[in-house]
Amino acid sequence: MSELPPTTSVKRWFVTTNHKDIGILYTITALFFLLFGGVLALLIRMQLWDPTSQILSGLAYNEAVTAHGLIMVFWFLSPFGFGFANYFVPLQIGADDLAFPRLNALSYWMYLFSGILLGISFFQGGTLSAGWTMYAPLNIPMYTPSIGSTGAVLALFMFVVGITASTVNFLTSIHHSRAEGMGIMDMPMFTWSILATVWMMLFAFAALLAVGLILASDRVLGSVYFSATEGGSLLWGHLFWFFGHPEVYIVFFPALGVMLELFQTFSGRRLVGRKWVIISICLISVQSFLVWMHHMFLTTINLEIKTLMMATTIGISLPFDLVVFSLIYTLIKGRIQFTTPFLFAFGALLLFILGGITGVFLGAIVLDYEFRGTYWVVAHFHYVMFGGATALFGGAYYWFPKVTGKMYDELLGKIHFVIFFISFNMVYFSMFLGWETPRRVFEYNPEFQIYHQFGTIGAFVLGLSFFIMFYNFAKSYVSGEPAGDNPWDYSRTAEWAVSSPPPLENWPNRPSYASGKLEFVKDYVPDGGPAVKADAEGNAATDGGDNHEEHISEYPYWDKHPSHASIWPFAISLALGTVLLGLSGFSESLSFVLGDSIASTTLNVSNPVYPILVVVGLVGMVWSGVKWGLQDFYAPPSEFAERWPFEGVEKVKLGMWFFLASDVIVFGAFLSAAIFVRYNAGWMTWEPLTESLPGLINTFVLITSSFTVILALVAAHRKSRQGLLASLGATIAFGFVFLAIKLWEWNHEIFDRGVTINANAHGDPVQASIYYVTTGLHGIHVVIGLLIAIYLFVRAYQGHYLDDERPIEYFGLYWHFVDIVWVFIFPLFYLF
Amino acid sequence: MIDSLILQQGSDWRAQAEVFDEIFFVFLALGTLIGTIVVAYTLWNVYKYRDDGGEPKEDFDAPEVGELPTGQGGPKAKKLFLSFGLSAIVVISLVVYAYGILLYVEEGPDSPEENIEIMVEGYQYGWDYEYPNGHTESGEMVVPADTRIDITVTSRDVWHNFGSSELRIKSDAIPGDTNENWFSVSSEEVQAQGGEATFMVECFELCGPGHSAMKSQITVIPEDEWETWYEGTGGNSSSVEGGVTADGAASINAAAIGGVSA
Repeated sequence: MSELPPTTSVKRWFVTTNHKDIGILYTITALFFLLFGGVLALLIRMQLWDPTSQILSGLAYNEAVTAHGLIMVFWFLSPFGFGFANYFVPLQIGADDLAFPRLNALSYWMYLFSGILLGISFFQGGTLSAGWTMYAPLNIPMYTPSIGSTGAVLALFMFVVGITASTVNFLTSIHHSRAEGMGIMDMPMFTWSILATVWMMLFAFAALLAVGLILASDRVLGSVYFSATEGGSLLWGHLFWFFGHPEVYIVFFPALGVMLELFQTFSGRRLVGRKWVIISICLISVQSFLVWMHHMFLTTINLEIKTLMMATTIGISLPFDLVVFSLIYTLIKGRIQFTTPFLFAFGALLLFILGGITGVFLGAIVLDYEFRGTYWVVAHFHYVMFGGATALFGGAYYWFPKVTGKMYDELLGKIHFVIFFISFNMVYFSMFLGWETPRRVFEYNPEFQIYHQFGTIGAFVLGLSFFIMFYNFAKSYVSGEPAGDNPWDYSRTAEWAVSSPPPLENWPNRPSYASGKLEFVKDYVPDGGPAVKADAEGNAATDGGDNHEEHISEYPYWDKHPSHASIWPFAISLALGTVLLGLSGFSESLSFVLGDSIASTTLNVSNPVYPILVVVGLVGMVWSGVKWGLQDFYAPPSEFAERWPFEGVEKVKLGMWFFLASDVIVFGAFLSAAIFVRYNAGWMTWEPLTESLPGLINTFVLITSSFTVILALVAAHRKSRQGLLASLGATIAFGFVFLAIKLWEWNHEIFDRGVTINANAHGDPVQASIYYVTTGLHGIHVVIGLLIAIYLFVRAYQGHYLDDERPIEYFGLYWHFVDIVWVFIFPLFYLF
Repeated sequence: MIDSLILQQGSDWRAQAEVFDEIFFVFLALGTLIGTIVVAYTLWNVYKYRDDGGEPKEDFDAPEVGELPTGQGGPKAKKLFLSFGLSAIVVISLVVYAYGILLYVEEGPDSPEENIEIMVEGYQYGWDYEYPNGHTESGEMVVPADTRIDITVTSRDVWHNFGSSELRIKSDAIPGDTNENWFSVSSEEVQAQGGEATFMVECFELCGPGHSAMKSQITVIPEDEWETWYEGTGGNSSSVEGGVTADGAASINAAAIGGVSA
């Protein structure tokens, strides 16, 4: 299983965990979604041709608008950029691969299967039709009842799960695996942009994950968050845009990174004010979380907050100004080569300038009042997001020779650019001219018909221009000129220092920047010990040696060969996709009839297909998860690496911390939702639904279980198998006690007090929803923790973890986190 | 158009459309100017420093593969900060200017006469207008000229957005929440349109399959005519034909569109 088949084998592409293979998979899949979303865009444009006649019904039009937005933003733009990131970030930082290769494969397969789920949703009675912003309460089944609507929401959920794994992976890789001598300020600008992107993603996508979970709960389980008049609509707005605004930069930054690289490579100049550009990028990443309410200026938020958001919005435009000026000044005194990649990058800058200036209009609240919901907004964000993506196409031409070893056809590339650039402006500039047309409306004022017709013609030309690129790439791949290792005159980054395409493990020897520039050094590997640095003769160096010895000694498997193949990422993703497909039709296929007690409650199954899919998928997930855990898969840590600012932290632990940071935001969003709705309902009008005593007991149970996990770690450290088994066993027992009390409590609430997920005999129904969903999410975390603990217990029984107790430690981190969350849940739901 | 940055109070206050036109003009003029300068400067430099195949200049220092970036500040950082400072001044002064106008729009003008308060309620797919006397109109809001109309906007089902492009007013209609806005139309405007001014109302937030056809209309008539009409309503509900069903809304919409383009 761990042998990687050759690239000509189909099997390779299902098992590969190599970052370059996965980068190619991402790029090709993203281009497929570009076509998918593009066809939907052309349907929209055809509908706009004539405001008095329609080719799509109102519902079908809304589905097209929604799916176009979702596909382009989620399934095309980000994955396209991350295809390049997958391929080139490890090369640019001098790593062999990403930190967690199997997790990287998992992210890709989650992405692919989530896209397939979205595709299937069109055939489940129609996909979601609530717009890509999915405003509440249009997004709940009362207004968008099709199974496919739920399918699309679950597809998005799955996409976000994959994204989260990818985010953790990139953060760990960039912070943990940089070649010796490459400080964080020395990283190439593309890698810098990706680093800023993944930091934003860590927190922004966690908010989307939370709001997606709440929406899925409303749609599948029947909770009533978003139909609640106690702020349900605004809750969606806040949570969605808290994610949505950083998302704009998440989409744009990879493209910006490509622009920053290409401007340097094709002018032969180094970036002007590099340090300030990096600072600007970091500032934007932080500020992006402070401007979300400018998407909600017309809601009922008060003037003070509006003013604050206006100020922060203008504030965020300033670092962008600096970046744009830096790009322009970099060109001056250069030797600018008008290759296809440069033309696309330069075109992207021009488009972005226009998008930026029209964005300042939107920052002025009085203007925003009128632009809200019109084509001004549509034109603006296409100039920014698709304008940015223009640079990504430049990236595709730029790196094509590196990935394939063949040169693309320059003339065809330039023709593509010219047609692309002209038709791009035809489509989107015409939107500025007809800006008074309301968004997502096809029966518009005939006064604007001329602009929309002009745009429709442009859209078809724009769409067709991509076939020039596809033809160019296909033809060049088959019969292009060999490109050599470095076809560009002024490239600087390390991917151009290796062959095209690069070897499986990237480097001839260990890359190092210790001398101030890239060199490949050969380390001395003694028999039966970890590698140490070698001196000029190839013997073990006596001075310095390994500066991070503690990292190496933590790996007992130092002499193993790295693994590159695993089928389990594919299997887990397939299983999760099956679960979610089943869940999409779950509430339509099952109904509970509540009796007086659990014994007299009946379950009616009207359609067994969906529930069976859920069960099969769940079994598949647990099975492939165990197989994943048992697989002998070795991803070596970079032994001599720059790790600022996480020098002392081991790789998996760092990944765990990143994951927990995103989970903090998930629970933060759930708790904020609870507080926001309660505030809107009138804080003091709610009393706790539950009795406080069971909650108090559970608090003690969990805290004690945290203690027993620490005991387990101590026992493992002391190599006491019995102590380890006893402490882990106690943890598991406490976990089950917690769940038993929880179940008793729910049973009591449902059958004795008449409080169910959407009904509340004692107050607002939404209060009951919040109680069940929030404590339920925590409960799921406990169940997952127990599954892992049982796995660890069995493995400990077989004698593992005494040499290497790190799995126990990382499980402990997760378990403590779950306990800490409870400490916040307890007062909110049991005391006040 | 930009004659008065100081906002007037009292009887000759300005309608939102006028305010919008002014600020839009200012932004458009400045935006076009700055955009043109920046793009022209960039294009000129890209042309000037093109690689013409000749020998590189002496001070041209070609980068090499595998080098680490040196000189993080760079020689042109000073120029960078100058441009940055200039752009910051432009943007910030624009916003300060826009903020003054925002305060006016938020507050609304003092009206010499009593304001008329109308409840606007959105539904899939139309608008209901409830007057202070309890009278409810569907599909058409009839209001007097020269009077400040205060609207309170809400929704009874999903999120809508009540907006009239010509009057430059817009408000989110959120279920369970109320949103306030105001507008007014002068009698000169009403005279110019032949004694009855009509303005198309559209929904600016996707609200379902009938969103496109969710149109309505604001009709402004002279004050005295309106008084008579209002007294005649006597708190009863009436409904303009159509307006409730999607088909009806579409027919009103066609009429409204015709009126605008004529």
